[in-house]
Amino acid sequence: MKINARIAYTGALFLVVLCGAGLMKPTPRTLKVPEGWPAPNKNLFSKNPLTEEGFQLGRKLFHDGNLSKDGYVSCASCHQQFAGFSTFDHDVSHGVNNTFTTRNAPTLANMAWHSAFHWDGGVNHIEVQAVSPITAHNEMGETLENVIAKLNADSSYPPLFKAAFGNETINSQRLLKALAQYTGSLVSANSKYDKVKRGEAIFSNVEQKGYEIFKAHCATCHKEPLFTDLTYRNNGLPLNRFNDVGRMAITGKKEDSLKFKVPTLRNIQVSYPYMHDGSIFSIPQVIDHYSGGIQKDQYTLDPVLKNGIAITQRQKYELMYFLFTLTDSTFLKDPAYGMPTY
Amino acid sequence: MKPCIASFGILLLVVLSVLNTTGQTHGTLKFTLIHTANGKPVELNTTTYNTPNGEEYTIKKLRYYFSNFKFPGNPTLEDADNYQLIDQARSTSFSIPVLPGKYTHIEWLLGIDSLRHCSGAQEGALDPMNDMFWTWNTGYVVFKLDGTSTSSTADRNRIEHHIGGFRFGQNVSTPLSFELPNDRPLEITAGKTTEITLHLNLDRYWKSKETILIARESVCTVPDALARKIASNFPYLFEIEDIKVHEN
Repeated sequence: MKINARIAYTGALFLVVLCGAGLMKPTPRTLKVPEGWPAPNKNLFSKNPLTEEGFQLGRKLFHDGNLSKDGYVSCASCHQQFAGFSTFDHDVSHGVNNTFTTRNAPTLANMAWHSAFHWDGGVNHIEVQAVSPITAHNEMGETLENVIAKLNADSSYPPLFKAAFGNETINSQRLLKALAQYTGSLVSANSKYDKVKRGEAIFSNVEQKGYEIFKAHCATCHKEPLFTDLTYRNNGLPLNRFNDVGRMAITGKKEDSLKFKVPTLRNIQVSYPYMHDGSIFSIPQVIDHYSGGIQKDQYTLDPVLKNGIAITQRQKYELMYFLFTLTDSTFLKDPAYGMPTY
Repeated sequence: MKPCIASFGILLLVVLSVLNTTGQTHGTLKFTLIHTANGKPVELNTTTYNTPNGEEYTIKKLRYYFSNFKFPGNPTLEDADNYQLIDQARSTSFSIPVLPGKYTHIEWLLGIDSLRHCSGAQEGALDPMNDMFWTWNTGYVVFKLDGTSTSSTADRNRIEHHIGGFRFGQNVSTPLSFELPNDRPLEITAGKTTEITLHLNLDRYWKSKETILIARESVCTVPDALARKIASNFPYLFEIEDIKVHEN
């Protein structure tokens, strides 16, 4: 054989070895930051580079019932896309064996701007969030060991892990990082409100009036453009039947009693019921709570709610029509976020 | 296909020589942990011990983390080596690479630094599968002692001590620091293993700086004031029993 052929052979061999060693890189994916928005949490993907393959793996895992003990409960069971990734029409969600959770499944949108997760902010990184629902007895009720065994036994997964992470090893870290790539990529920024902000649409008269009311009474906590300021506040709901004290259970501080994370209002039209325990069913009832239902004897009640929110019956509906403009039907129907076929 | 075999051979040599150049400059420090309670070796489930406070107990689980090993002038530990889980049921020894030298001061953390508590999904010793991870309030249990005691008023007479907490005011991870005499330092030699035998005396867990009564404090599973009280005994738990260099 000639020298040239030998070089070609060596080159080809090198390529095979490189592929075998998993040095072929997955395709980078970028998180699209809507114009004018603050920068997302920089720690989110700092040790978990966002890739097309990682996102697609996370998307499949998110919709896979095998992550639960009985094979029926997937992440998507309680985080339904059409309900803004909350549980449609349920105050609390269902876990395995007909159990119930004790809180309303929060919507998932723009999680890349969050730095703490759950209603009480107890989870401090998006990657470790999923351990909680997977292992909780009243959610998916499974162990990470079993999940990994089931994924290894499902022939569709090892190639997906290889594509995302370089080899077929399935471990808890990769499982969690893939899920985080999916959930961290859920960006909702194409509602009528967003289109108005971009100059692509205009509010109706009623919506515009509602927006003014919103800015006057709601925007401190439900800060634009995320429609949450990501803080923990007591909004004057009574202590519920689960004795859920919220943030206090995490910090151990009594001044955090009954404080919960301010939820985003994006996709609020489809994510009823509302509040951390799903105790309020409709938007007008939520507004009634703020105008006349606040428990004013609670010493941790948020100062901005001390006097309630004075609002007329007419303004209540104007506000509601503004809130409807936060419905992002592109996001709610985007097949790229939906149940995959692979 | 001789050329193919030849080029593969060359490639193999290249790969091997690359592998060979790493690790050669280090010695190995092997930690061997001996656990005792009440003067007896710890055996899970089968043996009954007495605390220095006169309370009977058995041990079902004994696990804890060591991390952030510091040897003056030796910043080269690989990330995975820097976090170790010691588990009476699975592994009571581990080895880490250390640059050669004579060390008269060594220290590490009983527990895990706060930065690592906030860094997302981990692997190896810090994999949440090791059952040392709190899901509802992110954080590691850095010291776990489960067992039973007739003194315990908890369900099924259990002892459940899951000691954790890393936030300001909740931290339980504790630096362990050891001074060695100048004439008998910890000596690390390239290519050799130095073994350090550490003794964990559980009697001091129940009574050293603080007195921990099972009758009163049988369960601790949140990062609260009791966890910090128990952790205030952590600096007194371990002592160096022996150091020897193996001629391997």
